[in-house]
Amino acid sequence: MSKDPISVPVKRRTILKAGLALGAMQVASPFVTKSLADEPVKIGLDNPATGTYAALGKNELIGCQLALEQINAKGGILGRKVELLVEDSTSGDAGTAVEKARKLIDRDQVNFLLGNINSALAAAMANVSYEKGVFHVVPGGHTDPITGANCHWNVFRVCNTTQMEANAVAGTLIKTAGKKWYYLTPDYAFGHTLQAGLEKAAAALGGTKVGGDLTPLGTTDFSSYLIKAQAANPDVIIFLQAGDDAVNALKQAVQFGLDKKFHLAGAQQELEVLIGLPPEARIGTWVFEWYWKQPNVAHVNDFVADIRKRSGGHVPTARTWFGYAATHTCALAAAAAKSLDAVKMAKAMQGFKLPPEVALMPDGAFYRAAQNQLIPDLYVGNAQAKGSDPEDLFNVTDVVKGITTAGTVEDTGCKMTWPA
Amino acid sequence: MTQVVLFNIFNGLIVGAFYALMALGLSLILNLSGVINFAHGGFLAIGGYVAYTLIPYVGFWGALVLAPVLTAILGVLVERVLIRRLYGRDPLYSLLLTFGLAFIFEDGTRFIWGAQSLPFQVPGWLMAPLSSDYFFLTGYRLFMVLIVAIAVIGLFLILSYTKLGVRIRAGTLDLETVSVLGVNVRILRNMNFGMGVYLAGLAGVLAVGQLGLQPTIGSSLIMPSFVAIIVGGLGSLPGTLLGGFLIGVASGVTTVFFPSATEAVIYVMMAAVLMVRPRGLLGEEGRF
Repeated sequence: MSKDPISVPVKRRTILKAGLALGAMQVASPFVTKSLADEPVKIGLDNPATGTYAALGKNELIGCQLALEQINAKGGILGRKVELLVEDSTSGDAGTAVEKARKLIDRDQVNFLLGNINSALAAAMANVSYEKGVFHVVPGGHTDPITGANCHWNVFRVCNTTQMEANAVAGTLIKTAGKKWYYLTPDYAFGHTLQAGLEKAAAALGGTKVGGDLTPLGTTDFSSYLIKAQAANPDVIIFLQAGDDAVNALKQAVQFGLDKKFHLAGAQQELEVLIGLPPEARIGTWVFEWYWKQPNVAHVNDFVADIRKRSGGHVPTARTWFGYAATHTCALAAAAAKSLDAVKMAKAMQGFKLPPEVALMPDGAFYRAAQNQLIPDLYVGNAQAKGSDPEDLFNVTDVVKGITTAGTVEDTGCKMTWPA
Repeated sequence: MTQVVLFNIFNGLIVGAFYALMALGLSLILNLSGVINFAHGGFLAIGGYVAYTLIPYVGFWGALVLAPVLTAILGVLVERVLIRRLYGRDPLYSLLLTFGLAFIFEDGTRFIWGAQSLPFQVPGWLMAPLSSDYFFLTGYRLFMVLIVAIAVIGLFLILSYTKLGVRIRAGTLDLETVSVLGVNVRILRNMNFGMGVYLAGLAGVLAVGQLGLQPTIGSSLIMPSFVAIIVGGLGSLPGTLLGGFLIGVASGVTTVFFPSATEAVIYVMMAAVLMVRPRGLLGEEGRF
């Protein structure tokens, strides 16, 4: 009878030898790996693929992938091929987002870190990338401190700050809708700073706050908040929810007929939300951070066509552009610095103007020096039930130059210190 | 202020009716089979998505009838293939299984229908508020309460007057004796699971009429239903109904005074009930 292979005794020395061999491999491996030029440059994307921001995350990813193809088609970064590593940060769990960021940096040794849509997660990731000294681009987390009071030399941001969005839309709202505002605000970093920004912008123009409620992230039923809002009798009910929360809130407000009694509006609005709403609920005055219908701006039509090919015919949203611009930022930084050294790249990006085929806006976009915040155009306008295309759901009435909304670097509270 | 509170109590009853519908399905399955069905929210989402897919072919009303039935068929299959194997084991096994299924359903719907919220439309005449003062009382919400009432009455009639219902109730009390008396317990549990999932599918179609249709819809609605069961009392269907109404009103009234605690308040209620009366308000002593 043959011996049971499981019960073969293993000698202590065999285990010791195996352990030693494994240890030697760890130390020895760098000397036997391929030359550096063959190693791809790695970009790590740590963004929501599940939860309330999954749709936004998907679109940012599509933008990243298109940029990646374009970069590789032009010879990669510093002659090396570029790879995108994607991790699901979840939509609201900062612990997971940080753990994934650490994994990307420590184990996968990424050269660039991208993320996150959720402001709180983006802020948590920024602490990790700062500690590790990794070049980090935040494509779509809006809360002010990321490029304000908590700014870091290595953290760049593509999307606007909440204060910029608030400043862009406040004047239009006061003029067209009235001065008494009631706020429905998601109860986390993004909502808090967006509301504070709007209050500040409105106060400067004579607007007042007549009330407001913080709604937990992931709220499905907004009816009790809407009952309170209508009792306060404001001119405008301001909805600051994003993603699926915004769909739920607006759908219910319109079903209650509140759009016929008050002006329903807000600051940031996204195409993903408008697509998810039934036509009658596509209403209100908002800010878009990028819009796909810009017939007179160079390269936009090519970008739209390229994205349509990759997304089953859907148009790019602001999120797609965030991912696209963020990924290109990595390649542009390395090219400008002629190096993958994070400090050199960050220094090269101070005041850097994005080329028109990446900026895709009438006035272009640049990273403001000493803050690392992209200063783009903002698109103020109204949601519309139908347009020339099934996904043409926003009518831009005003393109606002970002620099007029951004205040000074001192205003933002950013005091950047560089590594010695 | 008084008006806002009164409105919120009234509104809370409407919201509570919906929680009760979901919780009844959960309760039905839990009582007979001892399965804590964490995938209930997933079945709800599938109900909504199936209805969305059917609407272009059969209209809203057709979808309202067909989608819950199709969801129930899926439920029967899941019970037959997966859950049946775990009866008689520690309830933890089925809990873990349904917990995993919940993730599979959420990612499955995301895979098939996409992460993007879909615009689900109900007939226009149902959408308008019935009166300008009671603006939160829309035709659709009243219709929803009506459907919940019909479903609840239907369920009670089935449980009281049909052979299947009597067997389910008897099985809830003592499954072994029912089995010894010659009732095929396997089929009984299978049908019962299907009925519970039918209610989830129905709740799904009703929910997406007023919420966005997105893969996470199930996971965001499931917890209040669990709380409704625990507050109302395990093993008692009237208790489940009461629990649904109570948490609906409690979270509505909390909005007036402490809006950011609207979600937390139902868990505080659950904790209070578990401490003072662990079997729940109308629950049976010694069950679970």
